[in-house]
Amino acid sequence: MAKVLVIAEIKQGVIKSSTTELLSKAKAIGAETAVVAIGSNIESLIPGLVSAGSDTQYVADDPGLELFSAGPYASCVVDAAKQFGANLIWFGFSESGKAVAPRVAAQLDAACATEITDVTLHGDQIEVTRPAITNKVMQRVKVNIEELVAVVRAGAFEATEGITGTENVIKLSPPAPDLKAVIKELVSDASGDIDLADADIVISVGRGAKDQAGIDLVKELANDLKAGFGSSRAMVDGGFMPHGKQVGQTGKIVAPNLYMAFGISGAIQHLAGMNGSKVILAVNKDPEAPIFNVADYGIVGDLFEVVPILREEIKKIRT
Amino acid sequence: MKILTTVKKVVDVELTIHVKDGAIVEDGLQYVINAWDENAVETAVQLKENSGAETTLVSIGGGDNTDMIRRCYAMGIENGIHIEDPTLGAADSFVYAKVLQKVYEKGDYDLVITGKQAQDTDNGQTGIILAEYLGLPCVSNVIAIEVLDDQHIKVSRSGDAGTEIVELELPAVVTVDVSINEPRLPAMRGIMMAKKKKIDVMDLAALGTSPDEVGCATPKSEIAEFLKSDTRQGGQKFEGNAAEITAQVVDLLANEAKVF
Repeated sequence: MAKVLVIAEIKQGVIKSSTTELLSKAKAIGAETAVVAIGSNIESLIPGLVSAGSDTQYVADDPGLELFSAGPYASCVVDAAKQFGANLIWFGFSESGKAVAPRVAAQLDAACATEITDVTLHGDQIEVTRPAITNKVMQRVKVNIEELVAVVRAGAFEATEGITGTENVIKLSPPAPDLKAVIKELVSDASGDIDLADADIVISVGRGAKDQAGIDLVKELANDLKAGFGSSRAMVDGGFMPHGKQVGQTGKIVAPNLYMAFGISGAIQHLAGMNGSKVILAVNKDPEAPIFNVADYGIVGDLFEVVPILREEIKKIRT
Repeated sequence: MKILTTVKKVVDVELTIHVKDGAIVEDGLQYVINAWDENAVETAVQLKENSGAETTLVSIGGGDNTDMIRRCYAMGIENGIHIEDPTLGAADSFVYAKVLQKVYEKGDYDLVITGKQAQDTDNGQTGIILAEYLGLPCVSNVIAIEVLDDQHIKVSRSGDAGTEIVELELPAVVTVDVSINEPRLPAMRGIMMAKKKKIDVMDLAALGTSPDEVGCATPKSEIAEFLKSDTRQGGQKFEGNAAEITAQVVDLLANEAKVF
């Protein structure tokens, strides 16, 4: 029987939905499930780990684990994987997951696949699908050994409604700190902005917004909707938006319920970062803009004219 | 400081890519330097200019990489190694990392700089696995590097909760993001000079290893087939009076897509 170890994604003391999504998929393929949670002061999260769908909870709770450090985090995952006898080890689509997964694979001599969108088991044979070449093609990848470490693409697996687990907590001993790569400081993304990766709605601006005034106009809509606020590469290169807000293959990959693109033409790198969204709305002056090829709803028009009307109309239906 | 940087020749993602019978149609493809590796090269050259580092690049596979390596010479890289072997065709990240390990061990390097991923596979694994094999500290997704002294560098990494500032003891491995710098365009003079420079081309035997040792015949995973990307279809597109079509779309978002 397959044994899936899911790495709990914890952000600011909250278990993120990817944890439930990955555990749901593990149960759907008939696997035994465990979760590993790493951090400081995370005891109170145990009930949440159980209800996320895990049947065993490995917990590494230590003040030294408060700030992310790839080496010690990898040690915790390897420890849990060995104790559990995991043959599938899944990370959510996070920067920490992408940093730790190859380390764990190297240490366990397992295979490694990133950005997977599906996994199938035929007896002992593991197969995954994943996009490659900036999302232009998909690969079906055959794993030649029995252990696979994988990073699951955002939004690839769906949570099963009413999923539940059983409590069986196993404490892990704290790992040795990495003395050769010492984390000195975490400079938080200030501004209290909603995280693009977590947002239910993401709104992005592109070249069509022209300048700061255009950005501010669209930002008001984002504020109305409590949406994450992102950008195309053009606005980052132009110095109008910070790099951390760039949606695309070289920036953040997002898969919200609703993605709204304003004045974004739809370069391949941008599309690769958002085409997993459930619903896409695009507003662009150019009826031939490639963004319309992926948008469920397209408005051909000037964003400076459309955005104020959108705000009014959305307010009407929400009240 | 001796720097080793890695460059991969990859398919140009700006062009249309066709898939037929489980394989990518080679006809019409063009190859370029991997975008993230170009940032790695620029990082190395800046460290050469600002801290007196010695720079070497290594490229694995890809056939004739002369143009790409010369371009890196023209940017300021001093030495180039190209590992080419017929057995590397199905190499996965682990095989690449093993080959790089052999290159590293021959060179007494202080810092390895790779792009954070290659735009053909989008795996993002090789540099990190290399560090594991070498037992070296590693930070991935690096957006800034500062040399502290002969033995230490300070790097900024774009993480989940913000920018992580990490002090690394050398030797170390870093993988860089595109936001770390803007790669320079090589000057014409540099391009002319680069034509005279030697590229050290060798196969696995010349590197002092073998296909078996680096795992060419036993990749941990292999691509069974390529499939067309399940690209989404465009839906409804509205043109005309802005007030009318916007109201119509909001109604559809609420009642058809049910997102509000």
